[in-house]
Amino acid sequence: MNTPRTIAEYLEQLRAALRGADPALVQDALYDAEEHLRAELAEQPGRSEAEMLQKVVGSYGAPEEVAEIYRDQEIKIQRALRPPPPPRRRSLPGRFFGVAADPRTYGALFYMLLALATGIFYFVWVTTGLALSAGLSVLIVGLLFAVLFFATVRVLSLVEGRIVEAMLGVRMPRRPIYPAQGLTLMRRIGRMFTDVHTWTTLCYMWLMLPLGITYFTLAVTLLAVSLALIGAPLAWAFDHGRFDSWFVFRHATIDWGYGPHAMGWGDAAAMCAVGIVLLFATLHLARGIGRLHGQIAKHMLVPRAAA
Amino acid sequence: MDDTASLLKKFQKELSAGTVSLVLLAVLGQSRQPLYGYQIAKRLEELGEGALAGKQSALYPVLRNLEAAGLLASEVEPSVSGPPRRYYRITRPGREVLREWIDAWNATRDSVDKVLQGELR
Repeated sequence: MNTPRTIAEYLEQLRAALRGADPALVQDALYDAEEHLRAELAEQPGRSEAEMLQKVVGSYGAPEEVAEIYRDQEIKIQRALRPPPPPRRRSLPGRFFGVAADPRTYGALFYMLLALATGIFYFVWVTTGLALSAGLSVLIVGLLFAVLFFATVRVLSLVEGRIVEAMLGVRMPRRPIYPAQGLTLMRRIGRMFTDVHTWTTLCYMWLMLPLGITYFTLAVTLLAVSLALIGAPLAWAFDHGRFDSWFVFRHATIDWGYGPHAMGWGDAAAMCAVGIVLLFATLHLARGIGRLHGQIAKHMLVPRAAA
Repeated sequence: MDDTASLLKKFQKELSAGTVSLVLLAVLGQSRQPLYGYQIAKRLEELGEGALAGKQSALYPVLRNLEAAGLLASEVEPSVSGPPRRYYRITRPGREVLREWIDAWNATRDSVDKVLQGELR
């Protein structure tokens, strides 16, 4: 590859050299490189971009070298930060119950509960912001307001990225997209509105409300039902018919599909077993949803251009 | 010839993997004001090749990792003449860790020196 002559060219080559890497890693690498190059350029204003780049390829590294360094670093980070992978279990019950030993499961479960709060917040923020932006757009301050609003959405998307990375274990960017240089203020604002990434981020924030409600409901309902079933023998041990008057047939009755009958110890034990299976199935579901949501977040919050 | 050169490069890379974090933490620990990535790179450049074997691009991911570990804190400030810059400064836990790392480094250096001098004798 020939020596880049402009910063844009350098970044293009770096992006090409990083092709196939994690989009979040690409975004971080591009941000770092651009910050360094622009600082170098600002250091000696008299020098042309091409001269500066010639020197930088020696000190900062050629695009391919930089790509290599970032890939290496990423492997180290993954190894250091990731929890050790749970031992692979071969047997069917091992695989089914092994989900409880996977730390990711609990991260995902907690994310499902949290998603209701964050989902409501994102939705309210985005809806209010967009409505006010549209309403105020007839005034001069409307433009200022819209720009501020879009800036907050970018910050929110970084914050959500941190949450997703911490709880779902999906690598998300740690640095924002470098603001475009050399454009007039109006062009820069215009770019904000025409950027697809801005709109996918807004859609994600909206989507978080229905998703958050669904995740929260699923997590709470399934956990409550399975815990209630698991506790059936305990309830039966304490009950001894004391609450029989509460029931329609004067008995706690149960129907396994072949007609109702009065409850006994066998039924309580069976309910407990069903509850345990349901609890682990819920953990599986949580882990699956965690993976799925990680992918949704990655596709909607990390710009395609960086990929 | 090519073989020794590549072996040297690999050795330097492995050496710097550990020392870069220590050097960055020490630079920020000694500095009175917060520094941004480019400034740190230039300071190390003045010291010569030894402090940072390799390319300056390796600094940035390490800075980020140190920040993620809570040893550094950072903030972005718009600059008058150029692009916005991310300034890093050392945190209180960072200083504690730095003290321990310096001890570890001194111990390693002393024992390596002893072995090397014993070989020469």
